[in-house]
Amino acid sequence: MNEFFSVSHLQAGYGSRPVVQDVSFSVGAGELLGVLGANGCGKTTLLKAVCGILPHQGSCQLDGRPLEPMTPRQLARCCSYIPQRSGISIDISVLDVVLMGFNPWLGLLERPTAEMRDKACSALARVGLAGREQDNYLHLSEGQKQLCMLARTLTAGGSLLLLDEPESALDFRYRYRMLELLRRWTGQKQRAAVVTLHDASLALNYCDRLLILSQGRASALLTPAADSPEQMEKALSSVYGSISLARCKTRSGRTQLVMLKEEDPQEDCMP
Amino acid sequence: MDSITVKSANKTKLFCAAGVALLAALAAASLFTGKYPLTLSGILAGEEMQLRVFWTLRFSRMVVGVVGGFALGTAGFVYQTVFRNPLASPDVIGVSSGASAGAAAGILFLSGAAAVTAASFAGALAAVCLALALSALDRAGRNSTIVLAGIVVHSLAQTALMCLKLTADPERELASIEYWIMGSLNGISGYSIGDNLALCGVCLAVLFLLHRQILLLSAEEGEARMLGVSVEKLRLAVLLVATLVVSCIVSLSGLISFVGLLAPHGARLLTGRNHTGTMFLGGLLGGILLTGADILARSVAATELPVSIFTSLLGAPFLIFLIVRGRQKT
Amino acid sequence: MKMKQILSLLTAAAMTLSLAACGTDASDAVTATAQPTPAAETGEQASEATASPETAAEQTVYPVTLTDQAGREVTIESQPETLVSGYYISTSLLIALGLEDNLVGIEAKADTRPIYQLSAPELLELPSVGTAKEFDLEGCTALEPDLVILPLKLKDAAASLEELGITALVVNPENQELLNEATTLIGTATNTMDRAQALLDFADEQEPRLSDTLSGTEAPSVYLAGNSDFLSTAGSEMYQSDMITMAGGTNVAADITDTYWAENSYEQVLAWNPDYIILASDASYTVDDVLNDANLAGCAAVENGNVYQIPGNAEAWDSPVPSGILGAIWLSSVLHPDICPEADSLAVIDEFYQTFYGFNYSEISE
Repeated sequence: MNEFFSVSHLQAGYGSRPVVQDVSFSVGAGELLGVLGANGCGKTTLLKAVCGILPHQGSCQLDGRPLEPMTPRQLARCCSYIPQRSGISIDISVLDVVLMGFNPWLGLLERPTAEMRDKACSALARVGLAGREQDNYLHLSEGQKQLCMLARTLTAGGSLLLLDEPESALDFRYRYRMLELLRRWTGQKQRAAVVTLHDASLALNYCDRLLILSQGRASALLTPAADSPEQMEKALSSVYGSISLARCKTRSGRTQLVMLKEEDPQEDCMP
Repeated sequence: MDSITVKSANKTKLFCAAGVALLAALAAASLFTGKYPLTLSGILAGEEMQLRVFWTLRFSRMVVGVVGGFALGTAGFVYQTVFRNPLASPDVIGVSSGASAGAAAGILFLSGAAAVTAASFAGALAAVCLALALSALDRAGRNSTIVLAGIVVHSLAQTALMCLKLTADPERELASIEYWIMGSLNGISGYSIGDNLALCGVCLAVLFLLHRQILLLSAEEGEARMLGVSVEKLRLAVLLVATLVVSCIVSLSGLISFVGLLAPHGARLLTGRNHTGTMFLGGLLGGILLTGADILARSVAATELPVSIFTSLLGAPFLIFLIVRGRQKT
Repeated sequence: MKMKQILSLLTAAAMTLSLAACGTDASDAVTATAQPTPAAETGEQASEATASPETAAEQTVYPVTLTDQAGREVTIESQPETLVSGYYISTSLLIALGLEDNLVGIEAKADTRPIYQLSAPELLELPSVGTAKEFDLEGCTALEPDLVILPLKLKDAAASLEELGITALVVNPENQELLNEATTLIGTATNTMDRAQALLDFADEQEPRLSDTLSGTEAPSVYLAGNSDFLSTAGSEMYQSDMITMAGGTNVAADITDTYWAENSYEQVLAWNPDYIILASDASYTVDDVLNDANLAGCAAVENGNVYQIPGNAEAWDSPVPSGILGAIWLSSVLHPDICPEADSLAVIDEFYQTFYGFNYSEISE
């Protein structure tokens, strides 16, 4: 397996307390890596550290080049990040939000070209926001905002995509649509994506590999298509408690992994 | 959907055109308001005294009203966007209080109007540099740190101002300080405004050229960084330029309240966007507000009144009208 | 009691009337008025009496009850031996009444008042009781004065002192009339009505002298530039405006009725085009600043070099201090040097300070 993107011995946190400790993993070209973990286990911290927003120890390499010494501009050209929710809080059109994605390719005083506008419009159409270009971004629903962010990231043209729970605000259909878009995107050329997810079923069926984070450390690295359900059950139980995994067939004949919750043994902490 | 697109862009253009027209009308009215009996025939005949009063006093005052209002409105837009805070104003990072303390020190220890202008300019810059330097101590470079540092500097400057006021002679110096803080375009003449306006003009041009970058700063820090923005450097540069703009004007006029806060809000409420056009409209509204207020300040009474009284009197109902109008729409 | 007081005022009126109009004569007369004037010697003419203390003019009989300028009833049990003054005007007044040795505490920033240095340098050594903004109530109480004199702003402090058993008198010398009233009040309270009367008489006699001398002359227009800023000026309601009128000038800003310095513009000054520009005594800028102000080019006063500053060597004459009348006398010589020669005015000024403050003004003004 080629190592398109690799992270080794990553340690990061806020203040002096490390949230993520000694995490190493690698992603091959064209792969979609899912990151699963309970709330507060360090998923967001991991992504922020990888893209250099948080100071960290350890190193990240993309296609043989270390990310740490890059300027924000260089970094932004090869790597895009979608936060859980965008901090944009001013009245601005959806199109302008997408056009922000071209910033790493524009000089300080340059303005987006007509070609960039066209690209942005088609990216919006791809995520299902055609015709909403001039709408106020703040008036979109949280889910639509996420799609708009995705459109921005898709146009930006990087080769590594980092997404922080992109599905959290999306309804059922759009969750699948988003993961489908991601799969299609990573499938082209030299690309990879790391996505933290809440929804385990989504992760099991769309990600090439799954990194399980538990208390800031990587507890397992799964390959859903190849690993046995028992093996995965064991690894996932560190996050979800006792569960059952099964492979089911859809009516059209596609095999899907299904995760069901088992009753946890009675815990002492209950009064 | 297409009609909305057209509407939004056209609306901004329409408001800008209306704003330019209104500002031009007020500027013209401003040229005909004043205590010296200027006559059109006198000016056209080239009477020396008439021309001198017209160019050095009347015209200069009009220019400072228009440019000053425009500058305060634009700078307010920048501050509110960069701090992602609709209440942000030059005071957030201590500009106004720094300028006040500087002016007070100038009134106490230096002599001449030019020295007071220079001292207030230096005070404003010193306050902002101190705020930004303090905020640099936080390696994460958070926006909130700048605001906190600004509050620290603001209160330090207020303390300095209080001390200066205590030592001031109540008859002359204290009165000067108080009057300066209330702000007035009185006393502005063609001899003293050149440098300030030139610097202000250059800085305004820079702000408009950087408009796209300023919008990027409105995103969350990490997000902006991942869009290829060197957040700390850009924010520092933008804030310094916006502060220069404010300092140029405030050091000439004294504190002028409300324009920097109200004008950009007005522009946003009117256009519903943050285009370059909105920023420009914010400047226009600032110019309209200040020029209008100045016309009133020098004409309603036998004496000159502080211009801030009228910027607030004119501005507050306008803002309330816009808010109510916005409510009804949604 | 009432009769006696009216009579003493009549004395003043009579003396004033008997004075010749010109400066040298006037200064001779001052010496005469400065002497205690027994009421019995005065004539019988009736005249308008303005001030109204409720006790005798010359000798105060204690205990005496006075209504001070805050409207408070103040009873003074016996002649006060130790005094505290919390206001520069009342301090100056006390010096003029010859009470500087009785003062045990005065207001802060005494070193900024040249009159203390000139007339009673020992005052600079006295403990300070604070300013009108921050009065030192404890410090004042510690001095255990028999009488405290405070400005109207410190009315509340006066009430507090009263509760502490210290007698306090509130004065409000904001204009000439109120100053005269305060003079009478303090004169009565401290049993120095004879000196107080002489002080009042001095001003009373200079006014008609000036108006007689200047009657029929043309009044040049005067712009009075304020302390803080050249563009602030005194309207007709202000003390300074009366000074201009008394000195035979016309205040260009007479239409302004503000009771405080009013801000106006260069345009306004150019439109008024005054013959003279007079700078307030404490102005924070100089005559040269005004002469070199490019914005004032073309203004008659600047073109002709008629820009002067009211001298402040001893006191600021453009404020209601006991020597305030001297401002008008000085200004009359500036505006009408031919009718009111400078030497005459200087003689009057000398006489005043010699009589009431015990120093020679000509020597210090060089």
